[in-house]
Amino acid sequence: MADKNILLSEGELLVSSSPHIRAEETVDWLMWQVVIALLPAAISSVYFFGFRSLFLMVLGVATAVLTEAAVEKALGKEITIKDGSAAVTGLLLAFNVPANAPWWLVVLGAIFAIAVVKQTFGGLGYNFVNPALTARAFLLAAWPQYLAGNFPLPLDTITGATPLAILDGTAAGTLPSYLDLFLGNVGGVLGETSALALLVGGLYLIWQKVIDWRTPVAFIGTVAVLSWAFGGNGGLFTGDPLYHVLAGGLMLGAFFMATDYVTSPVTPKGRLGFGVGCGIITVLIRLWGGYPEGVSYSILLMNLLVPFLERWTVPRVYGTKSAQA
Amino acid sequence: MGLRTFVGGVHPAPSKGRTGDSPVVTAPLPQKVVIPLAQGGAPCDPLVKVGDKVQVGQKIGESQAFVSAPVHASISGNVTAIEPVACPNGRTSLAVVIESDGNDIWLNTTGGSSLDAMSPADIKGLVREAGLVGMGGAMFPTHVKISPPPGKSFDAVIINGAECEPYLTCDQRLLVEETESIVLGLKAWLKVTGAKKGYIGIEDNKREAIAAIKAAVTEEKDIEVVPLMTKFPQGSEKQLIASILGREVPSGGLPVDAGALVQNVGTTYALSQAITAGKPLVERVVTVTGTPLKKPLNIRTRIGTLFSDLLSFCELDGEIGKLISGGPMMGIAQTRADVPVLKGTSGILVLSPQEARPLPERACIRCGRCVDACPIGLIPTLLDQYCRHEMWEQATQGHVADCIECGSCAYVCPSKRHLVPALRLGKAEVMAQRRRKK
Amino acid sequence: MKKLWNIFFNGIINENPTLRLVIGMCAPLAVTTTVANGFWMGVAVIFVLTASNILISALRKIVPDQIRIPIFVVVIATFTTVADLSLKAIQPDIHAKLGVFVPLIVVNCIILARAEAFASKNNVLDSAVDGMGMAIGFTLALILLATIREVLGNGTWWGIRVLPAGFEPAIVMILPPGAFVCLGYLLGGLNLLTGKTGEN
Repeated sequence: MADKNILLSEGELLVSSSPHIRAEETVDWLMWQVVIALLPAAISSVYFFGFRSLFLMVLGVATAVLTEAAVEKALGKEITIKDGSAAVTGLLLAFNVPANAPWWLVVLGAIFAIAVVKQTFGGLGYNFVNPALTARAFLLAAWPQYLAGNFPLPLDTITGATPLAILDGTAAGTLPSYLDLFLGNVGGVLGETSALALLVGGLYLIWQKVIDWRTPVAFIGTVAVLSWAFGGNGGLFTGDPLYHVLAGGLMLGAFFMATDYVTSPVTPKGRLGFGVGCGIITVLIRLWGGYPEGVSYSILLMNLLVPFLERWTVPRVYGTKSAQA
Repeated sequence: MGLRTFVGGVHPAPSKGRTGDSPVVTAPLPQKVVIPLAQGGAPCDPLVKVGDKVQVGQKIGESQAFVSAPVHASISGNVTAIEPVACPNGRTSLAVVIESDGNDIWLNTTGGSSLDAMSPADIKGLVREAGLVGMGGAMFPTHVKISPPPGKSFDAVIINGAECEPYLTCDQRLLVEETESIVLGLKAWLKVTGAKKGYIGIEDNKREAIAAIKAAVTEEKDIEVVPLMTKFPQGSEKQLIASILGREVPSGGLPVDAGALVQNVGTTYALSQAITAGKPLVERVVTVTGTPLKKPLNIRTRIGTLFSDLLSFCELDGEIGKLISGGPMMGIAQTRADVPVLKGTSGILVLSPQEARPLPERACIRCGRCVDACPIGLIPTLLDQYCRHEMWEQATQGHVADCIECGSCAYVCPSKRHLVPALRLGKAEVMAQRRRKK
Repeated sequence: MKKLWNIFFNGIINENPTLRLVIGMCAPLAVTTTVANGFWMGVAVIFVLTASNILISALRKIVPDQIRIPIFVVVIATFTTVADLSLKAIQPDIHAKLGVFVPLIVVNCIILARAEAFASKNNVLDSAVDGMGMAIGFTLALILLATIREVLGNGTWWGIRVLPAGFEPAIVMILPPGAFVCLGYLLGGLNLLTGKTGEN
């Protein structure tokens, strides 16, 4: 050991707390994974509803990202648009409007989602309800004429009722086949119709361990069981669970909205309970509520219950008998 | 068959390839060693003074306190100074500095014996005299650890061969190369504690070590080799007990409350050296690795050797971003390279500036990964908020005091939050409040 | 004179009952669907608050401490009845729209709060000015809130169309959620303007 030249003087070495290595996943990576997972649904939406659908999606993303940048700039905060969370919100918002919605509806919705729901409460990580869904609820309350009633039918220029509205008895029409429902060849908002595309994206997220399987499985499972039990006209257990699972916004909600990190519980059991709760409220609204569809309100209502779910589902601490008080 | 393991945990890249298969080499005798007197429990009082000549194995520090282990000279030569030095565990301790005379003269101590000839009391005495401490990093005096409080006893001894920290391979090499000694050491632990059954837990990615130990214990019906799932922190005492025995250490309790004694591989090897050769703890195996080193090695080195000497020996080639004593998950970043190897220094890890670059901390997105990763079942993200906002009551209810500071939560965090320092702060505050109440 | 101005403006900016003290919130949230409603509600409150402050201040020396609250309520109820009946005579349409909210001024905590906190401790002139300031602050807040809600939610101001016919009103703004969102931003905005954000 001849040379002693590696004696470093104080201050040359970086000192920080353990751990000194970190997993590769970053917030940015996670959010862009969600964008990737939404692409199949986006593509199927363009296929079924035409290029206006693409226009609305681009508009939603662009407005959300610009709003995020503008608000953060105005508040003197770090600009975080490249983390992808605003893009996800903008895309999900566009998924929630029909193809014949006016362009400004998407713009105002995206601004509301980012500026009011997200940034007002402190930006990513601090909003207590899902921005895209809250914006959808806002749009529905503000301009109900565009978001309730008849939606454009795929591959066509006429509008018609959504499958759930027909099932609900609030609209006339013939129910589409299971295959059409599964592929997305039905009326509805941009991103919700193709169960197949959403399932592909959702399974990709579960495979990449971006989302926890518990929330979607509990959500969809609860809807299936309850709609089977109570959804029929001929008494208990005469409902059509498959129809209820494939129709409406359930796939979109269960895989992409109820799994939103910020607004769902951090505990595994809490996520299970979150999914079950969403399922119960969805079926309540679908079968007995004033609206034909209840996925978005069910998720928003459960968002508000997250702190309680987390308190009720604390994991058992090692070396203790039961969960902490 | 599923491998035995615990709940939670993370899977960092093992990064053991560069040293896992390379046999232990012996470092050249250092010209100078710095031997801190506080290495496990209460600091020792020096038994030598400046100018004294010492021999290898000569006791140079001892304390009257029960919870303290003596320290020994690791080279022969002259004591040139007794002065406070910075230690790699972050403390400052009085240390004996010895300049080598180059002769490596060993003090003729007990000369060695055989396990069969020793009574449990003999072994316990030897453990203390040899200065044995937990060599995984904590450096808790071993003679204290093997003395159960009144009314409690051990029924199982576990040799901790998990070595779940990435990069570190010193225990793995000892298991492969010194198999017989480890088994002898385990038998000694069984004898001294009266426990019925001995286990050797090894993560299943260390196939060679598992095979070697299995071959050595085919005749031993009281010893079981347990392959464990490769997962961090498998080698944490509490997690190892859960994995192997299916028991849990009660919150706030000690492993003895679960009837288990967990011993480090290095300590077990040191015990068998003390029994068969009469050698006190004056050397240990240290894994010195990291990308800036041309020749990463497992090095048998004398206690008190400076990190800088070992880094030169491994041919440092490139800039150091971070110098870590221990592994990358729980090791301690060093401010300087002239700190001595302690009895608990299992590894020296050098990270390049690129690997060590600090990652910006972002807001928590509540993804819940830390909750899944926590081996204790805490909710790190909530505790992080409580500790940062000094909400000690909530932190106490959230069991922050049970945190083992393994860093799994911070490892998986996509927002790269500094969870460990926040929880460590909370833990210290909650413990202090508890002491004040008593 | 300066003191009177201070008392007067205190109620408009610094201690604006709606935007700063956030008391008596039921009327601001419920009646601000149109500017006209907000204005007349404000007028009723100006009358009741000023008159009751004057009377309570005048009586302050002879009111026994133990029963002061019932006496305040009787005074306030008297003026509220006067306001209710007068409004019904002058603006029957508006009165019908405001419905129960005019009689509810009796239990509006702004009025009882000023009686208790100010009028019962100060002379008649100061009390009158305080009541006036507070009530005008209240009225301005109502008109501000109603302006935003009526313009966005209906495209009109005091019934006059101000936005082009192509504008499609956001109905949510004249529904209760719109009131809450709007009020939240007004509160935040006032804090921002007066530099009262952050840790206090």
